[in-house]
Amino acid sequence: MSGSLHPEVKNEIWMKTVLISVVLLVVGIIGYAVLAGGIGTMKHHAWEDAHDDLDQAEADWNTANETGTLEDKEAASDAWDTAHHADIDAHLSFLTWDTAGKTILVMFIIYAAFYGIAGFFNSIQPEDDDDHHYGDDHEEHHGSASPILMAGGIMLFMMGFPGFVTTCKALLGLDYDADMGGFVLSTIGSAILIIGIGNWWNEDLKGHYEQIATSHPFAGQDIRKAGMWIFLISETMVFASFFSSYLRMRTGWCTEWAYNAGKCDVVDTTTASDLLRHDVMTLLPGAINTFALIISSYTIVLALKAAKDINWEPSSNPLLAKLFPTRKKAVRNYLIVTLSLGSLFIILKLVEWSHLIAEGFTIDTQAGSIFYVATGAHGLHVFIGLLVMLFMIFKADALEEGYNEENGQGIEYFGLYWHFVDLAWVAIFPAFYLY
Amino acid sequence: MGEHKYTGPIAGLFQKMADMIGKDVYYVNFLILMFFTLFEVAAVFFEVIPGTDIEITRGAVWGVLIVVGIIKGYGIAAFFMHLKGDPFIYTRTALFPILFAALMLWGIGLSNPDGIDNLPAWCTPNWDYSYVTE
Repeated sequence: MSGSLHPEVKNEIWMKTVLISVVLLVVGIIGYAVLAGGIGTMKHHAWEDAHDDLDQAEADWNTANETGTLEDKEAASDAWDTAHHADIDAHLSFLTWDTAGKTILVMFIIYAAFYGIAGFFNSIQPEDDDDHHYGDDHEEHHGSASPILMAGGIMLFMMGFPGFVTTCKALLGLDYDADMGGFVLSTIGSAILIIGIGNWWNEDLKGHYEQIATSHPFAGQDIRKAGMWIFLISETMVFASFFSSYLRMRTGWCTEWAYNAGKCDVVDTTTASDLLRHDVMTLLPGAINTFALIISSYTIVLALKAAKDINWEPSSNPLLAKLFPTRKKAVRNYLIVTLSLGSLFIILKLVEWSHLIAEGFTIDTQAGSIFYVATGAHGLHVFIGLLVMLFMIFKADALEEGYNEENGQGIEYFGLYWHFVDLAWVAIFPAFYLY
Repeated sequence: MGEHKYTGPIAGLFQKMADMIGKDVYYVNFLILMFFTLFEVAAVFFEVIPGTDIEITRGAVWGVLIVVGIIKGYGIAAFFMHLKGDPFIYTRTALFPILFAALMLWGIGLSNPDGIDNLPAWCTPNWDYSYVTE
């Protein structure tokens, strides 16, 4: 039997997450102010200037067409072409900074909400009796109330979600009528969901014995690990359905790729890959994201390795020794690096989407809908992983010894999920970005 | 973690490379994943092999994407997800959805417009289309 109990962990420790949530909120606001408010505003001015230049070039071109010589027309046409490209570049540059700033703000608000609400809820809970141990008798059921709380929260969130979306659009100044009923319902649902997750976090922080499967085919294996693999099977099926839909549709389209291969005569569909794969700058976000996920897969392996290594010693490299001075801090910092890389993935993903939408590749086409649904579902998986990682970073810091050889399975089982997300990207990247 | 010595034709090769550079298999796997990602992006990005006039055909790109995908998938599943060192039941569990994925691919063949006359017979049901009229 593996796993460990930590009866010495008091609920007051959760107040630390409330403080961290304030820091996260400040970081999010600063990120937004610098990227969207500062650089984004400058880029917006540059885009307005470029647009004015384009208008001027268009006026010159019209004049040249009416009264100019052939040379004047050609010169005006070239000038319009240059101004048009400058306008597009300026627009995309503005979108890059603006979207990055807004994404960081929203992401950090959600991080802060999870740390703040869950931490506050847990910090005001009465302490358990000292003689109470979760799963002391391993035949006793854990009996957690968290899943039912989370399910209730999700139900309310989804019930109010349409109203939440329209209200957000109205608050952003778009032409929509706010539906405050739906907005409030969805917000209450989110709070209940976060409290349910927080309760689960608290139970995990206090520790439990690892339950062992007794039946075929997983007899002798940790139940959580077997459960994780079964869960990953269902996830594989979700992504397989996206792929089969995409391949089925793709075989019916005359894309640039099919046209160049001589499979059809007239290109009738533009895919995301047609817009992304020809230029370094358009392919770059997807390529960086691929490397970010691979590196994050490696850093979580390093976190697990550090947690399980009873003979762990700091690196002989002075920089690494400073970054990862003790086993406890090494695990925590590897998890922070993983969180940062995952956050970078989400930011670049939304920047890339903003560029594609600006170029007219929207969700209301067949190619657009399958692209945004498949890559969006993957991005959602990454984001859910980041929320789990928030707790793991806190746990790595809050426990006296952090993660160690006794409770390191938590990293291993979460790692399975994270590697699966990486594995799904291994298929999504070539299929949707390169092919 | 890290103490396990991998054996077998492919995993053993990873282990040998790790031993050669004095690092663990995870590090070697990480480098291989990075290298092949770069390779796959380059295969799509370049129209000819850099420094030569040899054209990179669509078929070649397809081949590269599939082979690199398999190599990367193996590296992540076998080493990062520890399927290589864990009991075989986990590998069997991981491979189980392939059955459904294969059925889905067959479904693509059945419902594809090319299924009538262009796809190989093994993936179409050999229906009689003589009743189809213009």
